[in-house]
This record gives sequence, structure tokens and C-alpha cells, in this order.
Amino acid sequence: MTLESYLALGLALFSLGLVAALSQRNLIAVLIGIELMMNAASLNFMAFNRYVVEDPAVGQVFVLIIIGLAAAEVAIFLSIILRLYRQRREIDSEHITTLKG
Amino acid sequence: MIEQAVLYLFVGLVLLGGLMAAFARQVLYAIIGLGVALLGLSGVFLFLGSPFVAAMQLLIYIGGITVAIVFAMMLSISMAVQPPQSHRGKSALAVVAGALFFAAVFVAMRGAEFPSPAGALPADAWAISRIGHLLLNAYNVVFETLSVVLLLAIVGAILIARRERKTA
Amino acid sequence: MDTLTLALLATLSPLPAFFVALVLLNNRPSMAQAVAIFGTALALLGSVGLLLQGPTEPLRFAWFSSGQIHLQFGFLLDGMSLMFGVAVALITLCVMIYSLGYMAADPGRARYFAMLSLFAWAMLSFVYAVDLLQSFIFWELVGLASFFLIGFWYEKPEASAAARKAFLMTRIGDVGLFIGILMILPLTNNFDLPALLDPDTGLVKLAGPALSTITLLIFMGIVGKSAQFPLHTWLPDAMEGPTPVSALLHSATMVAAGVYLMARLHPLFMAAPDTLHIVLAVAAFTALLSATIAMVATDIKKVLAYSSISQLGFMLMGLAAGSLFAGVFHLITHAVFKALLFLCSGVYIHHFATNDMREIGRRGGRSLGATTLGLAIGAGALAGLPPLAGFFSKEEIFAALGHEGSTLFYIAALIAAFLTAYYTARMFFLIALPDEVVKEHHDDSHHGSPQPIVMLAPIALLAIGAVGLGFFGAAIAAQLGLVPAHHEIASMLPAVGVVILGMALAYFDYGRTAAPRRGFIAAVPALHALFVNKWYIDEFYRAVFVRLNDALSALFFAIESRFFDDGFDQVGHSAIRAGSGASRLQNGWVQFYAGATMFFVGLAALYIGLR
Repeated sequence: MTLESYLALGLALFSLGLVAALSQRNLIAVLIGIELMMNAASLNFMAFNRYVVEDPAVGQVFVLIIIGLAAAEVAIFLSIILRLYRQRREIDSEHITTLKG
Repeated sequence: MIEQAVLYLFVGLVLLGGLMAAFARQVLYAIIGLGVALLGLSGVFLFLGSPFVAAMQLLIYIGGITVAIVFAMMLSISMAVQPPQSHRGKSALAVVAGALFFAAVFVAMRGAEFPSPAGALPADAWAISRIGHLLLNAYNVVFETLSVVLLLAIVGAILIARRERKTA
Repeated sequence: MDTLTLALLATLSPLPAFFVALVLLNNRPSMAQAVAIFGTALALLGSVGLLLQGPTEPLRFAWFSSGQIHLQFGFLLDGMSLMFGVAVALITLCVMIYSLGYMAADPGRARYFAMLSLFAWAMLSFVYAVDLLQSFIFWELVGLASFFLIGFWYEKPEASAAARKAFLMTRIGDVGLFIGILMILPLTNNFDLPALLDPDTGLVKLAGPALSTITLLIFMGIVGKSAQFPLHTWLPDAMEGPTPVSALLHSATMVAAGVYLMARLHPLFMAAPDTLHIVLAVAAFTALLSATIAMVATDIKKVLAYSSISQLGFMLMGLAAGSLFAGVFHLITHAVFKALLFLCSGVYIHHFATNDMREIGRRGGRSLGATTLGLAIGAGALAGLPPLAGFFSKEEIFAALGHEGSTLFYIAALIAAFLTAYYTARMFFLIALPDEVVKEHHDDSHHGSPQPIVMLAPIALLAIGAVGLGFFGAAIAAQLGLVPAHHEIASMLPAVGVVILGMALAYFDYGRTAAPRRGFIAAVPALHALFVNKWYIDEFYRAVFVRLNDALSALFFAIESRFFDDGFDQVGHSAIRAGSGASRLQNGWVQFYAGATMFFVGLAALYIGLR
């Protein structure tokens, strides 16, 4: 596989994540879509790291950082979901239409 | 040959998982799709020359994040048991927007030219120790900042998710 | 004092009186009266001062310039405006003083005097205007004052209806006038009256269809303001206003503004023979028509109103026949003796509380001796009895008509003069020689004297004018810069003849002891009915224009409500629909926002990538 095919795979994964984030009703599924997009970004880093960059260690460092940030993001997101569920007994993205809690 | 087949298997896993996550109605299937995609992705990382990152991917994502998501699903069980129908226009818009984005970036990618690395890589270029060195030297600040971010995220998550005292 | 101060004094001084009387002194009528009379007296002082200075160069002040167009305000101080200014100010002052008695018991007299001041300001400014547009502005202000004064007793439905009618009818003419004035602008780039009338460089050299159109349109305005056929019907109705107002506005000054305008623009009219023919025809027909109506009317103010219309027709005939002097002379004498007649009639109306001449006569009209003497002088002057004022001025008109050589109009004028003498004498006989006198059981206590001095003094002043003014013809002509033609005694005979004939017939019908006390015209019932019903002109207007207007408005209402209204409703509804549709976009779905964003970002990126 060439660099382009890896990039295309990453792009496909990102687009699927986008669709998930934009269309799912359950906020957890929305989170999953966001995770997919982050992984697509990781895949791009890894692909460029493999085929373009002089020092392959840099890309790996970046992917590790992304994974760490994703973990933080998931922690916050899930806690928000729990809070929401406790308050409204639902986590439906189509019903959460106001900024007011 | 076999290598190629395994690579395509992983690629297939990634796409299959992505599709499941994107279009599943049951949130459980979406989580499974996420797991499958992440599994496939770690395989692809393996083929991209980094067993360490692949291992981290398995450990943190599948072992940590996916499990956390499952817990969250179980804590908000009602939506998982009776998933409501998505709004049709919104789903169509999402699909169209995704397709448009794909097409646009694909067109841009086809038009782009990527340079190749100039010379041969040093022997220890892919050694894991180099990652450690980089993290603690060149990217030390980033590394430490990430630690703080994680700490804050944990504290914040606890603050947000905890039950409020009745006596307030 | 210099000319400018005098001119400002003559025109502007009633204006502060108007504001003060209307705004500050509405609850103090006696002070309002004093202020108004003081303002008009100042104006009279100013105009007399101007007259004594004699004609001078006009004073001009730039108003604004736009490109080549220059508009101005200013004072035109030639013989005509000086004379007419004094006449207006004098008669206004007389009428105001008279009103002190006539309106003494009216609670709204502060407003009344304020409006008279407004009128004085507008009319004097009109008289002295140097710019045609300035003339038009004050022409309209005069109309406004007339509207307020006719409708002064606005609680009376007839009065407010008459005010509306007067306003609308004169507006019809004013539309033509305004168009005519505007048509001048592209030709000259200014409205300066002396420049327009300059025989070498003015509009006169334009003679032809354009000038005929302009003068004809201006004549429309004159027809409206001077109550000529077919727009004359507002003037008799305007008699609903207080009698002094009728004397001032609706016989002596305001209605004469039309004649004055024509006299001002006389050179233009003289250069447009087509228009002159129309003016002559309209004026002659109006003079005859209104004289026949005055012949059978029983309301003294109606008689005088129709007589005013008729005399205005006379003036216009004189002007159209080419004699500026005849028109202006009759304008001034008529102003004096008609104001006199109205003020006398006001005394009767005030005392007997009726407008019916027969009633006034029966209840002892002649017992008010001084007033009846004034009435006799005014009637004689109106009839054209030598040597009173009306005789001389009418004689000028006959001379002009005879000189102009149109036998038809000369005969028409003779007939009108005959009818004038007839109805004037009839009016006098009905009041002074009634068939029976009913003993008056009238309680005079709440009236005070029937002829207070404030009412008699103006009558006396005007009576002197009506007697003596005729002998100042030469002076007036000199003011105009003209030399009056010398008339043969023989040429006066037909006019004097018809006057005596008319008065004799009236004596035969009404005056002598065994008189039938009905007009000779009653022998022809069809004509009598026609005259009594004012030639059915009001009915005709009501049947044609009002009905047409109603039908048109119904049609337009239908079009408006079905088509435009609904259409605009649709516009509104669609805006609401679009709004609610757009507000549905603002549904708070973050996913929807993000999707739309990505959609358009993708679209734009795809476009850029494929380009």
C-alpha cells in the first residue's frame, strides 16, 4: 500500500466519524464518531511518519500525545453525559437544544 | 502475499468498524464498531512500522476508552434499550456533508505531491528508546502539559459527574 | 423709514398677532382682539407709507438656487401692488373693527381674530410678492385662512361642509395654476415677475401654443379662486361663515386675488388671444348666470354672494377686453362697495337674526336708518348709478368691451348690468319698502344698541369710499402708469339706460305701493325654477362628479382590497412564513449546525479543488 492509500483510508475513517458525530442521536454514539475522527488523524500522522518524515520517532510521539488527549476528552465527555442523564433522564442530542442547564 | 492479505484484513476491519459506528442504531453496536475499527487501526499501525504505538492503541483505546464508554452506556441505559429513530433530514444532511467532505479532501489529496525522505534512515530510527528520549527532551514541555491536562480532566470529570449535596 | 422696513411692516406685522392671539390669548378674547387690530393697523401704516413713497424698484432676496434655477422672496412695489395693498389693509382693518361689534358675544373670537390676522398676513404677502412661486405659496395660505374662517362655526354641519367644499373647489383650480406656474420654470429658470413680464425678454415673446397653455392653466386657478363658472358653487356656500368674513374674504379681497393675479400677468394674457377669448366667454357667462340667480334669491347674503361672482366676471371681462385699468379700477371700487354692502347686511342679520330680506323688511329693517343709508349707497354703487363709484368703473369696462369690438360680449355685459341693477334695487326695496311692517316685540336688552359705533364707523368709512372713489380714476390710472381714455357722454348712455331701466323694473315689481312683490321672471315658471335652483349646477355636480367619484372609489376600493391589499398581505404573510421557516433553522441542534457547516465547507472545498 502506498502513502495515498493510507491517507485515503484515514480520510474514509474521518468521514465515517463525521457522519456518526452529525447523525447519531445518542450522545455516546456522537462521542464514538469523534473518537473515530481522532483516530483518522492518528492514522495520517503514522502514514506521513512512515513515508515522508526524516525522523520516524516524531510521528509516533504525536500519536501518543493524541491518544493522551483523547483519553482526557473522553473522561470529560462521559462525565458530562452522566451529569446530563442524571438531570434529564436522557442523552438525546435532538432534545438538548438550549445552553441553559 | 500473506502480509498483504493481513494488511487488507486490518483495512477491512477499520472500514467495517467505521461503518458500524456511523450507522448503527443501537449504541452497543456503535461501541463494537469503534472497537473493531480501533483493533484494525492498531494492526495498520503495526504495518506502518510501529509496534509500540499499536500496543498503546490497544491498551489505552480498547482497554481503557472503549470500556469507559461501555460503562457510560450502561449508566444511561434507557437510550440504549430503546434507541429513538434519528431525524431523517439530519441524517441525510450528515451523510451528504460527510460525502462532500470526503470528495473534497480526496480531490485535494490527488492533486498534492508528497516529498520522499532524502537519505537512508539510521539503524535505530524506529527504536522505542528514541520515542522516550524525544518525549523527555525535545517534547518535554508537551509531555508535562499533557500530564497536567489529564490531571485536570480527571478532576473536572469528577467535579462534573459527582452527585450534588442536598444541603446546598 | 426705508422701503424695506415699510414693506416688512406692511406684510409681516399681522403674523405675530396671529400666533399671539391663537396661542397665548385664546382665553383672553379682548386682548386677542387688541393684538390683532394692532397688527393690522401696523400693516396699514406700512402699506400707506409704501404708497406715499411711490413705486420703486422691487426688493429681491435669494431663497435658493439649484443649478440654473433661482428662486427668491421679495416685494414688488409697483403702482398696482401699492394700491391694492392699501385697499386690503384698510378693508381688513375696517372688518376687524366691525367684528368687535358683530362677534362681541362669540366665545371663540380669539380664534376668529387670529384667523383674520393669518389672512391679512397671507393676503398682503401675496399682493406684494415679487416671485410667482411666492405668490402661489401665499395664494394657498389665503385659501387656508378662508377655509378656517368659513368653517369658523365648525359645530354647524353646513359651515364645515361649506369650508370643505370651498377648499376642494379652489384646489381644483389650483392644480391647474400650479402646473401652469411649473411650466414657466423650464422656459425662464426663475419666477421673477418683472422679468417674466418684460416686453422684450420676458415670456411675451414666446407667444404661441405654449403661452396659451400656460395662461389657460393659470386661468384655471383664477376660476377657482375668483369663483367663476364652473367652479363658482363654493362661494355662495361660503356665506355660512360670519358675515364680516364674507365681506372681507368672499367679496372684497380674497376672491379678488384671482383678478389681481390676472391683472399682474396681464401682458402674458394679452399675448395669448386664444386664452383671452376663453376668459371673456367664461367671465361673461358667469356674470349672466350669477346675476340671474341673484335676481330670485331671498337670502341677502346669497344675493350679495352671487353679485360678487357676477362682478368678478365683470372685472375679468374688462381685463380680457384688454383694459388693465378697467379691471383694476372695478376691482378696487367693488372691494369698497361690496364690503360696505356686506357690513350693512351684517347689521341686519345681527339684529334680526335672519338672512331673509323679506323678513328683515317686515320687521322694520329701515328703522336702522344709518345702516339703510349705507345700504342705499352700496346698492347704488353696485348697480352703477352715477355718480357713485361703481358707475365709473363699470363704465370703463363697457368702454373696453365696446372698444374691443365684440358686440356679443358688449350686449351680454349690458344684460348683466341690467340684471345687476334689478336685483340690487330689489334687495333695497325688499328691505326698505316692505309691504307691511310688523310691530317689533323684540327684547333689545341683550344686544345693546343695534348699531354700535364700532360697526357704524367702518360702514361710514366705506360709504364715503363708495361715493367718492369713482372720481379718483385718473389717479389710479396714473398709479398703474396708464392714461385713461376720455369717454364721450353718448357712449355712456346705453349703460346708464339699462341701469335706470333695471331699477325702474324693480320698483315696478317690488317698490311701489301696489307692487305684486314677485319678480317679472315669475311669469316664466320654468326659468324662475331654473334660477331659484341655481341652474341645477350643484345637483349636476352631485349627480355626475360625486356619483362618478363614488363609483370610481368603489371600483378602486375593490381593486385595492382584493388586489393590492391581499397582495401586500401575501407579502407580509410570506415574510412571516420565511421568518418562521428560517427560525426553524435555529432549532438548537448542534449537529444540524455542524452538518450545515460541513456541507457548505465541503462544497466550497470541492469547488476549489476541482477548479
